[in-house]
Amino acid sequence: MSPKITFLLALAIVVNFDLRSSRAQIPGAPLLAAFARSGGFRPNTPGINPPETTATLNEALPAGAMQQKATTACLECHEARIILQQRLSKATWTKEVDKMVKWGAVVDAADRDALIDYLSENFSPDKPPYIPPRTSKEKISGKSRTN
Amino acid sequence: MIVRSARFFDLETPVEFLNTWLTPVPHFFVRNHMHEPSELSAETWRLTVGGEVEKPLTLTLHDLSKLQTHSVVNTLECAGNGRSLHRPQVPGVQWGKGAVSTARFTGPRLRDVLQQAGVKSTGKHVMFRGLDEVPGKVPPFIRSIPIEKALDSDTLVATHMNGAPLTKHHGFPARALVPGWIGAASCKWLTEIKILDSEFVGNFMSPGYRLPNQPVKPGDSVKPEDTHPVTGLSVKSVISGPLDGASVKPGRVAAHGAAWAGEADIVKVEISLDDGATWSPATLGQEKSKYAWRLWSYSWNAKRGDYTIKSRATDSQGRVQPSEAVWNPSGYLYNAIDEVKIHVA
Repeated sequence: MSPKITFLLALAIVVNFDLRSSRAQIPGAPLLAAFARSGGFRPNTPGINPPETTATLNEALPAGAMQQKATTACLECHEARIILQQRLSKATWTKEVDKMVKWGAVVDAADRDALIDYLSENFSPDKPPYIPPRTSKEKISGKSRTN
Repeated sequence: MIVRSARFFDLETPVEFLNTWLTPVPHFFVRNHMHEPSELSAETWRLTVGGEVEKPLTLTLHDLSKLQTHSVVNTLECAGNGRSLHRPQVPGVQWGKGAVSTARFTGPRLRDVLQQAGVKSTGKHVMFRGLDEVPGKVPPFIRSIPIEKALDSDTLVATHMNGAPLTKHHGFPARALVPGWIGAASCKWLTEIKILDSEFVGNFMSPGYRLPNQPVKPGDSVKPEDTHPVTGLSVKSVISGPLDGASVKPGRVAAHGAAWAGEADIVKVEISLDDGATWSPATLGQEKSKYAWRLWSYSWNAKRGDYTIKSRATDSQGRVQPSEAVWNPSGYLYNAIDEVKIHVA
């Protein structure tokens, strides 16, 4: 299954889950319903001079020898975007990986260093910023209110 | 809304939406540390009150609705708002400027709930636990606040937001509302209140949500005893328009935004159009309430050229928004003077 299909499936589950709960008088449902109607994730429209970025809508972790193992270890609990938006030194990634292992991430001890290298190389401070998507087609004109 | 994460669900309010005194609920930022509860029912929901109390309680939503209600307009800000602007960057949700919103929260006072249970003299802290679902071996999101703040007449068990029942993303059917404090204090999907004789011991009290007592440099190790919990918000303003990078026509240009200061009041917002060389007072909006932000505006006759607009807030405690935020290992309370660059042509 392609990452995109996997993602859409996950989104469908999220949306369905929320709507299912709406019988409990939970007005949060319309937000996600509108989110789904809008086509879900779409590129950010930051308007003016967006910083250069390599980010795409593909929320999979980047290719590499550790991609699959990182996907298994990290995305069990949270989505890739939480990783994609970080820009951290190797020392900080080391602390994060060790914390996550303590919190239940399944990482073979033999893979720990390679996982830290994978994250440090792909999400280092010198990488361009990650541009997140928005939930709707809101456009930003970038124009000031003038009168 | 800006999707910082879909799982866990974290939405940021775009800065251009920080331009209404009350934030419409669909535009109110969302922060979750864990998975939202998979089952929520007004009928089966219960709130227990225990610990250092004379009479432990189990309350239904109907029980809560019989208590006198109180409303507080509160600016809620995530402690990590602006984290992405710290250098070097630190781990966590990379919020821009919009993990902050304002709403009118309504519900019974927490102190009235505690009074029913009768807090013993040994009760010094109040712990909140919500129904959010914890993955793996992640520590549960449990925190506590001191009894003095819990007994404040503006601290609520909120059931409503902007006049409607809380939405799921904001803690249906009830949440703590600890006004003027970081969002993490206001536990969502509240289901357990426990009175403790000391601060709750857990990851989200320490090492989480603590600041070094003295400024530290990146890489420095900080001992737990040299830290303190993050509580009230800092003094801060943001520019919600014009947007950074905007091109506008010469003539009257109106800059606008919001300013807040947690438990303090905003006394002035100043604007600079020359990269901080000179400052002029902005006009503060009419709408005000303790714990709520003040909208501000400033207009001028713009001639052709490039401008750096800066905003700087001052509060009733004499705190002034600094030119640089204090870096800290978790990226809390970023509050540097805000700025946007515009082109007038």
